[in-house]
Amino acid sequence: INHIVHNGGLYKRPFNEDFEETPMLVAVLTYVGYGVLTLFGYLRDFMRQWKIEKCQNATEREEQKDFVPLYQDFENFYNRNLYMRIRDSWNRPICSVPGAKVDMMERISHDYNWTFTYTGRVIKDIINMGSYNYLGFAQKAGTCQEAAAKVLSQYGAGVCSTRQEMGNLDKHEELEKLVARFLGVESAMAYGMGFATNSMNIPALVGKGCLILSDELNHASLVLGARLSGATIRIFKHNNMQSLEKLLKDAIVHGQPRTRRPWKKILILVEGIYSMEGSIVRLPEVIALKKKYKSYLYLDEAHSIGALGPTGRGVVEYFGLSPEDVDVMMGTFTKSFGAAGGYIGGKKELIDYLRTYSHSAVYATSLSPPVVEQIITSMKCIMGEDGTTVGKARVQQLAENTRYFRRRLKEMGFIIYGNEDSPVVPLMLYMPAKIGAFGREMLKRNIGVVVVGFPATPIIESRARFCLSAAHTKEMLDTALKEISEVGDLLQLKYSRHRLVPLLDRPFDETTYEETED
Amino acid sequence: MNVGVAHSEVNPNTRVMNSRGIWLAYVISVGVLHVVLLSIPFFSVPVVWTLTNVIHNLVMYLLLHTVKGTPFETPDQGKDRLLTHWEQIDYGTQCTSSRKFLSISPVVLYLLTSFYTKYDPAHFLINTASLLSVLLPKLPQFHGVRVFGINKY
Repeated sequence: INHIVHNGGLYKRPFNEDFEETPMLVAVLTYVGYGVLTLFGYLRDFMRQWKIEKCQNATEREEQKDFVPLYQDFENFYNRNLYMRIRDSWNRPICSVPGAKVDMMERISHDYNWTFTYTGRVIKDIINMGSYNYLGFAQKAGTCQEAAAKVLSQYGAGVCSTRQEMGNLDKHEELEKLVARFLGVESAMAYGMGFATNSMNIPALVGKGCLILSDELNHASLVLGARLSGATIRIFKHNNMQSLEKLLKDAIVHGQPRTRRPWKKILILVEGIYSMEGSIVRLPEVIALKKKYKSYLYLDEAHSIGALGPTGRGVVEYFGLSPEDVDVMMGTFTKSFGAAGGYIGGKKELIDYLRTYSHSAVYATSLSPPVVEQIITSMKCIMGEDGTTVGKARVQQLAENTRYFRRRLKEMGFIIYGNEDSPVVPLMLYMPAKIGAFGREMLKRNIGVVVVGFPATPIIESRARFCLSAAHTKEMLDTALKEISEVGDLLQLKYSRHRLVPLLDRPFDETTYEETED
Repeated sequence: MNVGVAHSEVNPNTRVMNSRGIWLAYVISVGVLHVVLLSIPFFSVPVVWTLTNVIHNLVMYLLLHTVKGTPFETPDQGKDRLLTHWEQIDYGTQCTSSRKFLSISPVVLYLLTSFYTKYDPAHFLINTASLLSVLLPKLPQFHGVRVFGINKY
């Protein structure tokens, strides 16, 4: 389904998202694949039980065999029969900074992935298509690294306290003022861990008697935060504004389930870029709905901050909206800033409230000083305040890389999900065997990718996910594309039935954004 | 396995029967079974149809009404561990479209089988018993029922 929306003036630029449906033959073959794997899984389990084959899984001790079992073996079926076979595509140990190229420790397995041994060799210069390094700040040399090293020698590595006690450094205050200025909000607060930011702050904002409307494909941190809060959770279809509006209307008309009292608060949880689909939230419509039905919006910009928008201010700037419309702007420093941690930005009263009531502010250790300095330097670089145009160049390079890579992949005939402008590119693999094969073949050709399958994705939508970076040069992308095309021919991955009409290829420069503004 | 998953579906098993192409895959696999049985030289056509019906119902009973739980860990701490796959479909909502499809397909197969066995009494008994064994557990009244405590834990 191809959406190109120019929705009544709400969108200032075409919103082009594409989620091509699975071809029927491919779906049937995928089920056959899982069926065969299941049959073999049962056969192997039978052989393991009758001691024809050695069982390498963890089992209880002989003395405890008659006790009530701690775990049900069937729950481990997928793990031991499917995941173990292709386990070498995950948890790969890297031993250098995860920039555009990365070094990986080679490991081999003599018993079909049950145990790994390191050969001692280090595979050097693997093109890194899996790290969330959108603006290329994961470097081991450069201004950010020098500043961080200086702060490390001055403040040390650990803070040894929480924000509320003795862990509130002047660096943290400086960071928060900078983040607030960057986002265009009144005030911001930074936390040590992006996951903890979501899961610990949503319970502080909503509680029992409130309603959370969360997108189908929200990240686990948002889901955990929503569940911990004790509010009622209703899920709307991914990026589907009709579904959201229906839920809002029902909520306001019918109120709370049994008592019919009005909800205390309605909070809409969405993400800027969904990392598994590569889709961008329909923010103008969400904000219009939020204003119409008087609810609150919590926007998680983990992947979109720094990666979208002409100056890298995120999805709000990408759509040309005002940051005051979003009540809680959350994001992480892990992806585009090359550091760790998360932040929440919003009105001053909200942030002051969170400083006292959020679990992560009160109990979790604050950010480490060199990490804070890395964020400060990289953010100033993006904003252009360090006196160079490096930041702007990186943002533009990322946008150019995104457009180029996506267009080339579509022209080759792969099925790619997501919005044209999102730097997260999921390439569909579908069949379980191709997941393992793709990961291994790409590693043989010196390209590191992330692959995901069932049950992390729906059963017929296994994919490989590429994360583009401003640090990727055109040569690296061309090499990667050549190898992807080769592997695609080898594994027959070019399923797409849309033939792309080649557009006039204009060079991507500053004026491209200005042209589409009203 | 909500850890590391990209959706907020608590139990992906509930959605498998609604996925794209699975009904077609099911019909094709019954067809393949039938063709394989037809290619065995000793069986006559009525015997082959009865065998198809019986094997189909047996496998369906095994997969949908005997095997319990999920082959992967779910984040709800095993709420569905004692439920068979049929009971897990759509989180227990009755009369959804995949439940209707899976209830009607043994009946269609039964009608075809009765025609091709020329309504012979012996075949009729076997086929009807087999059909009942696979239709009764699908009734909404039998949701979660374990007769004589068989297959309870």
